[in-house]
Amino acid sequence: MDATKQLREAAEEILAREDVACLIGYEQGSYGFRVQPCILTDPGQTDRLIISPLCVNNLTNYLTLEQIGPLTKEAIGEQKIAIVVKGCDSRAITVLNAENGFSRDRLVIIGVSSPGVVDISKIEARFPNAVSPAEVTVKENNFVISCEGETSSIPQNELLASKCQRCKNAMPTVYDVLIGEEQPAKEDVFEDVAAAEAQNIEEKAAKWQEEFSRCIRCYACRNACPLCYCSDCMLDRLRPQFIRRSVTAVDNSLFHITRAFHLAGRCIECGECERVCPQSIPLMDLNRKLAKDVKELFDYEAGIDPEAKPLFGTFKTEDSDEGIL
Amino acid sequence: MSFEPKIVAFLCNWCTYAGADLAGTSRYEYPPNVRTVRVMCSSRINPMFIVNALLEGADGVLVSGCHPGECHYVSGNYLARRRLVLFRRFLEHLGIHPDRFRMSWVSASEGAKWAEVVKEVTEGVRALGPNEIKREQEWMQQSS
Repeated sequence: MDATKQLREAAEEILAREDVACLIGYEQGSYGFRVQPCILTDPGQTDRLIISPLCVNNLTNYLTLEQIGPLTKEAIGEQKIAIVVKGCDSRAITVLNAENGFSRDRLVIIGVSSPGVVDISKIEARFPNAVSPAEVTVKENNFVISCEGETSSIPQNELLASKCQRCKNAMPTVYDVLIGEEQPAKEDVFEDVAAAEAQNIEEKAAKWQEEFSRCIRCYACRNACPLCYCSDCMLDRLRPQFIRRSVTAVDNSLFHITRAFHLAGRCIECGECERVCPQSIPLMDLNRKLAKDVKELFDYEAGIDPEAKPLFGTFKTEDSDEGIL
Repeated sequence: MSFEPKIVAFLCNWCTYAGADLAGTSRYEYPPNVRTVRVMCSSRINPMFIVNALLEGADGVLVSGCHPGECHYVSGNYLARRRLVLFRRFLEHLGIHPDRFRMSWVSASEGAKWAEVVKEVTEGVRALGPNEIKREQEWMQQSS
């Protein structure tokens, strides 16, 4: 039975429950390879749902919004929300639950054992003429792509999003219903970070000053991040103005250092910040570096252990004293 | 004129600030390059303070608090240590030399240690030269 059919059946059952207000899932977008989030409230709507390697968004971002689709927080009240999550997305739920951002008890989680998602920009570059809705499935390490009446097969690693190429935990860490087969977790060795660390300090400074200077401060990275959900964000504060707003390399540096460091020990590597960046700034490089150091220094991984306390809310007396005089 | 580094030092009220005071009353000599900001605890230091100081024109930043286990608020310095040790590595990754941001533990009785810490930090920053990534520099480039 294919995953979409499995998903629809599970969703129908869940939406029929009285204690469930709505379901957040994916539906076919309006053109080409675009898939969009959808919020369903009625069991009859479940035939809109799909799950495929095109479902790139991290839907947990919706949980902390004031309004989920047609429903306000008040309308939802104490009812539960059903949500479709991939491996990385499920870890956002674990972090949200640990820091009291959103209680896991208020969720019905449909976990998808993800085969990895495609990088939409890569696939659109391969098929520039795709206008009518296209389909992508996985078959033996290949993506089978049906687009404009033609079917072609492309090796998976040519189109996979970079976060999925290095992903070690494709299995959801929390779920109530699982779609797809169980996958074992692997050990993350941070090869990508090691390559960046090998540069000398001048090269690093030049690289990041250039990257940051391109930022246009649209804050899409913050808005797309499921874990940037403070209702009173310091980026928006004018009194006191923590972060200046001029679009220059220096002020952008402050913004990006702050943004990345706020996610230290929290980033679950869903890659949404990087995906939505209109200037293609490699934001995940910052998050990955922090993830590597957090693992090295504190043996901590965000969102893996549902019982773990937030990294900076706890300490050990034997923590590293590196560089302290 | 030779380069004189500007160093912003965030000192905890209960240990290092008193330690620095003791260094003064005990007539220890140390470089006049630090500008002190007193905070109630080293865990008050938001990493943003450090970046902001560097971008606003400081050549180096020093954060100093009580020794582990001696925090006036029991565990503040442990929490600060977690954050700031990680932050120091992160700054290095972005091309800000780790010698520009130092941490130290100086208790209220360690006036001599405070003098040593300031000497070491100042010499470290002096060796690196002026901080290139700062707003002042940017304005100068724009106006020229």
